[in-house]
Formats: sequence, structure tokens, C-alpha cells
Amino acid sequence: MRALPSPAGLQAVGLRKIYGSVVANRNMSIATQAGSIHAVVGENGAGKSTLMRLLQGVERPDGGEIFVDGVRVDFTNPGDALRHGIGMVHQEFMIAPDLSLLENLVLGEEPVKRSWGPLSWIDWPTARTQGQALADQIGALIDWDQRAANAPVHILQFVEIIRLLRRGCRTLILDEPTAVLAPVQVDELFALLRNLRTQGTALLFISHKIGEVMALADEVTVIRQGETVFHSSVAECTADEISRHIVNGELHHVANDEAPQPQSELLSIASLNARSVNRSHTLHNISLTIGSGEILGIAGVAGNGQNELVECLVGLRPSSGLVTLNGIALSALNPSQRRRHGIAYISADRRHEGLSMQASIETNVVAGSHRTSPISHGGWLNRAAMRKIAKDRLQALDVKYDRPSDPVSTLSGGNQQKLVFAREIATSPQVLIASQPTRGVDLNGIAAIHQLIRDFRDGGGAVLLISEELDELIALSTRVAVIADGTIVGTVKAPASNLPLIGRMMLQGAAA
Amino acid sequence: MQFEHLIASAIMLTTPILLAAMGGLINRRAGIVNIGLEAKMLAGAFVAVIVSSATGSWIIASLAAALAGAAIGWLFSLSITRAGANMIVAGLGLNILVAGVLGFILSWVYRSSGTLRLPDVALLPKILPSGLEFVPLVGPALAMLDPLTLLAWMTTGALPFVLASTRIGLWIRATGNASEMARSVGLQHLTIQDFTTACAGFFSGLAGAHLALVSLGLFNEGLTSGRGFIALAAFYFGRDRPITTAFACMLFGALEAAQIRLQLEGLPPKLIGTLPYVMVLIALVVVSIQAQRKSST
Ligand SMILES: Nc1ncnc2c1ncn2[C@@H]1O[C@H](COP(=O)(O)OP(=O)(O)OP(=O)(O)O)[C@@H](O)[C@H]1O
Ligand SMILES: [Mg+2]
Repeated sequence: MRALPSPAGLQAVGLRKIYGSVVANRNMSIATQAGSIHAVVGENGAGKSTLMRLLQGVERPDGGEIFVDGVRVDFTNPGDALRHGIGMVHQEFMIAPDLSLLENLVLGEEPVKRSWGPLSWIDWPTARTQGQALADQIGALIDWDQRAANAPVHILQFVEIIRLLRRGCRTLILDEPTAVLAPVQVDELFALLRNLRTQGTALLFISHKIGEVMALADEVTVIRQGETVFHSSVAECTADEISRHIVNGELHHVANDEAPQPQSELLSIASLNARSVNRSHTLHNISLTIGSGEILGIAGVAGNGQNELVECLVGLRPSSGLVTLNGIALSALNPSQRRRHGIAYISADRRHEGLSMQASIETNVVAGSHRTSPISHGGWLNRAAMRKIAKDRLQALDVKYDRPSDPVSTLSGGNQQKLVFAREIATSPQVLIASQPTRGVDLNGIAAIHQLIRDFRDGGGAVLLISEELDELIALSTRVAVIADGTIVGTVKAPASNLPLIGRMMLQGAAA
Repeated sequence: MQFEHLIASAIMLTTPILLAAMGGLINRRAGIVNIGLEAKMLAGAFVAVIVSSATGSWIIASLAAALAGAAIGWLFSLSITRAGANMIVAGLGLNILVAGVLGFILSWVYRSSGTLRLPDVALLPKILPSGLEFVPLVGPALAMLDPLTLLAWMTTGALPFVLASTRIGLWIRATGNASEMARSVGLQHLTIQDFTTACAGFFSGLAGAHLALVSLGLFNEGLTSGRGFIALAAFYFGRDRPITTAFACMLFGALEAAQIRLQLEGLPPKLIGTLPYVMVLIALVVVSIQAQRKSST
């Protein structure tokens, strides 16, 4: 055991982690302090998530040291870290969907009146009191009897945080907690994190959004290519400075070019209706058209039917009404037939719909083209051709990977998203339906994806863009349609100059 | 009179299905679909007959049958949770393996093909004092009530509370629902699964003991005749809820009793014998149609 000069909190010195030929963490040093929010930023694949996995005991470092309150520790599993007061809120929430929120809260450490080992009766009133006390303390409103599957994402996040607090966590790690949240939910989360800070919890917070960092954090550490390259208190640096450190001076700017005049109508949606299935939103009477060379943005408060609309268009959800592409009716076609007619789809749910996480990188990037020549050769899979096409596609979008046969789950979040794009635009579709296309993507990645979408448009494609980032919608869209409560309440031309109107329509529906 | 006897035999025929179904239900709640219930039932019946004959005690015999079932269940579980076997394939394999091994032991040790008759087999006792036969409607059923039937129904009554409110119950539900998550909060999800498979074996073993010791006192290769699968259908039908599952078991038990009655009436026995299985099929179709309807409103 070796003591260090600044003993309080969690501290890492010179951490290293190597996966095969990839050095994910080269030399990472970071320290947390009680009552302080420490933001960790860096490009996709820089090694942020890897560092957090080391700090949380999910994986063991290949070099370097971790200290808790000045004492050297060696975590072999997350339980070890938890015992030292370190817990992580996962990107993929660790919540059992069929259990109630209260059951999720106490799982693993249930309060009992009399202990009979595993057969003890759980003391539900005590559990509820404990949970409610913590929720009150951090200012969260939680309906403990709700089934987790029915609770909104930010509430699940809150339950995870309360669970960790209840188990004595003093250092909380949050890996891109805002990526899956709607703007209002982000505000709620931040309020809660600020309360936690006041109460003396140390927070490590990963984000790609500099705005969030500036608004929330006390300290910031920048990671580049597996190394911590910059550390400062947020008060003493500017957003530009942080951005420059992230990309090492190579920030790509996308020229905000003049959009071409949309040509003929390509995709047309006429009075589309959808029933509610499994608590999904109903859609009423949606009519939209998108011309070739046009990007139509869909703005709306999360959960107002955006996802359902997208699913109806790609054929994942039954609907009535008429959807035509180039005059051909799509309504009766299944997803694969729609694809063949030229519909491409970037799903907002990358981990479940966009990718098959266990399958290899190359399988994922050629999926959908596996029935066509040259990958399919007389019904047989031509491995060599498949590999070559996979390589080309990955290279075209500059996806960073180790070996094409590795599972796609080994890619960093942002590179996974680029892979989905690489696959979807490779078959030269006519319509691109992109839902939250830059979620979890770093600054340069966003620039690259925005450029891709514009190139697609300039090539005569039609884009339906759904995003919770209003900035993104306005920067890209030719027109913005606003969805509220399952119906389109209006369409705005020249969105950049009509921002307040869009905001009002999102909140007030057609009344605005 | 006729009807009262029908009720009595329906209840008696429900017991083994109910026992196996409760075991399988616990197992499925923890995420394992156990199609090897049949094998454990058969092994339980075999062990019960041998132990009962050797000791003359139905208690020891039932316990031995349960433990044999639990042991087989545990090994079966290890092959799934630790060796990564597919649960359906492993379950099918187990059914074939156990039937084969028992047949082999029968012919090799007992020089018999198919049936094992041993002397002095102690049958399950009747637990209520005699004289209840004349209670209207349920008289014969009460008179025939045996300890394993009582146990089966007590288990059914207790299980909802155990699952809802004990630590192990919560662990089981969490494991079946999100095993990675259970692991992340520090539960040993594989051990929990093994435990529930052992439970399934335990109750299936008891089911076998009931089949063998309730009236016949002998073992026959065809003794279980698919009841393990009917139990499986029962907890699918009951959507893994103990009480609804018990209703399904009673339905199947009653069908079996009716079927036996109809055979006695002189209808073609093979055809009538398919009745419970046909009903199982129909029941499953009805349930899944209902489930689909429900999810689309
Ligand atoms: N299990 C693994 N096997 C092989 N390589 C891995 C594994 N996990 C991560 N990597 C690689 O390590 C590097 C760092 O990945 P990491 O997930 O830490 O990045 P990140 O900074 O979190 O990026 P993002 O912002 O995209 O989430 C990447 O190049 C990634 O491909
Ligand atoms: Mg990451």
C-alpha cells in the first residue's frame, strides 16, 4: 500500500488497457473529488468507456494503479468497486423490465425484518421508505410501483442512481447519460446531479456535448487516443479550448452550404394512421411529402409519435393510409421489400435495431446485401467478396476497427454509428430515414455524418430526419414538420429563421 | 355417485401434473424452459418403487424420488448454465437418456422388460380418517386424499407469496427477466438458475413418486406418458402464474379422468387416449391467440 499526496476520492495513475492490437488506454490519469462533477470528454474511440470499465472493476488494467482514498486497490469485479463506494450508471440500463421500480431498487440488497437467508421475507415498507427518502433528497419524483418497462428512460436512470446511493456509493460514473434523453429530461437529470454534488458525491460524467460540460461540470479532463491530455477546472477554460484539445486542432468545419431546390416529389405519405400496440403512440392522419434533393426534418418533444412514424415507414409497424415512393405503393410491402425499393433506415436504437451486437463487424456492415451478387454467388456466400465489400464500406466512412471479424460490440459507440451509415448508404437508396443519426457521436463524427446526409441529398436523395437536437434539424433541414401527440401540427419553411415558431408548435401543438 | 368418483379421480390425476408444473414454473421464472420434466418424473417413479419396496416407507421413498429428481435436475442445469448447452436440445437429450438408462437397468438388473414389480411396496396412505365417503360431491375425493396431493396444493398456495415477497423469489424473477442485470447487482445468476432447475427436478421426482405409489405400486416404462409435457403446457397456459397454472393442471387432470371413463364406456381407447393431448394443443393455441389480441389493443 502506497499513499498519495491527495488522498481523498478515486484516483487513477497511468492506466493502460490493451485489446488485441488496440491500445484502448495508453496512459490515463484522473482524480475525482467529493462534491465535484468531473467531465470526461474525447473523440469516439478515445478510450473513455474503457477507462470507466477499469475504474468500475468490469475489466482489469494491464498497467497503472487505482487508489481509493489514497489506498491502492485492485478491483476484480464490479462488486469490488461497489464495496469501495464506486458505482456506474450504464448506457444500457441495468434494469429488469418486468419488475417494479421498487423491486429493481432493492434487488441484491433487500431489507428484511427477520433474516432467514434467501427465504427471508422482504420488508417492502422499509424498502419504500428508504427509496423515497433518497429520492426526496436528490429531488426525484418516482412512482415505485410502476413496472420498469413502462417508466421513461430518465426515471430508470434515476432509479439506478438511487440504487447506487442506497448501496453506499460516493463516486458515481455516468457514461453518456444524456445521449438517450430528451432535452427536458436532461434538465431534470442535471438538477439531480447538482443536488448530488451538494451532498458530497463525486461524479464522473462522460459527454460529447461541450455545452453540457460547460453548464454542469466543475472540472474537465480531455482524452485523446488513450491518453489524458488536458485537465482544468471548467471555470478557467473556454468551450473552444476544450474542443481544440479534443481534436488536437483538427476540427472539421462543414460549410453551411446553400441547399439546392428540391426536385420532383419522391416519397409521399397520405393520411397515415396507426393504432396503439403495446402502449405505442397512435398516429392520426399524417400526410407529408419529400422531394428528391430535400431533407425534411421532424421536430417534436420525445415520445410524440416520432418513433412510430419511422416504424410505419420502414414497415416495422402496421398502418393504414398510402405511402408511395416514386409512385409505387409501399404500404403492403415488408421491410426487406421496402429496402429493395430504395428505403434506407438509420435506427435510433442502435444496439437493438441498428446492429446485431454479437455478430462481427463485417457481417453487420454487409447485412442486407447478403442476398445479392457478388456476396451471394448462386445462393452461396462468397466470403472473399464479402470481406472486400465490408472493408470498402468501412473505409469509405473511416470506421476505426481492429479486425473485421471482431464482434461489433468492441467498436466504440460513435464508430458503431458510422458503421450503420456505411451499410445503409452503400446500396444507393433513394430515401434515407435517419432517426437520431448523431446520438453518441463526437464533434468530427457529427460533421462527417452531416456531410454524408448533405451529400446524399445533393445526389438527389430524399431524407427524413428525426432528431432531438434542434440545432441539427435546423442546420440540415430544408423544411421542418412538427409532430405533437401523434399528428403533424404544421410544416415550417426556412426553419433557421422560424425557430421560436417551431418551439411553440412542439409544446402547444396546432394551437401555436 | 358417478360424478363424485369422477371428481376424485380428476383430483388424483391432477397431482403429478401440478407438482411437475410448479417445479417447471419456478424454473421458467428463472429463465430456463425445462423440457426434461418428463425424465425426472420417470426417474422419480422408478426410485420411489425401489426405495418403497426396500424400506417399506412411503416417506423415505418419496423423499428419495425427489432427491433423485433434484440431482438429475442439477446436473442437467450445469450442462446448460456452465457448459453452455442449448436448453431445448439438452432437455430432449435428457428425456431420451433417462428412458434409455432406466430400460437398461430394468432388463439388466431386474431381468424385466418394461415393468418393475417388487414385493412389499408401501403405497401412499390416505390422510383423512375413514367415513368421509358419504360427504356429498367431494366425499370420495376426501377419502382418497394422499399426502403428496396435499403438498402439491400447499405448494401452489404458497408459491405466489414466495415469488412475490421473499428474497429468493425476487432473485428468481430478476434472473429470468434480466440475467446480466442480476449479475451486475451481485447476484449469482447461474447458481440461482441451477437451484431452480434442481427445484423442478425435486417436484418432478415427487410427481413420479405419486404416479408410482398412489395406487399401483409398480413402475412401468410408459408410466408418465407425456405428463411432463402436459405440465409444461400447463404453465405456458397459466403464463407462469401459480394459480392460473393450477387451474390448467386441473383441466388436464379432469380430461384425463374423463378419458378413462370414456374408455370404460367402450369408445376406441387409442382415439380417446389422445383427448388430453389434443386439448393441450387447443388450449395453447387459444392462449397464444389471446395473448396476441391483448398486445394489440
Ligand atoms: N472489448 C474490446 N475488444 C477490442 N477492442 C475494444 C474493446 N472495447 C473497446 N475497444 C476499442 O478500444 C478503443 C476505445 O474504445 P472506447 O469504447 O473506450 O471509446 P470511447 O472513448 O468510449 O468512444 P465513444 O465516444 O465512441 O463511446 C476503440 O478503438 C475500441 O474499438
Ligand atoms: Mg463510449
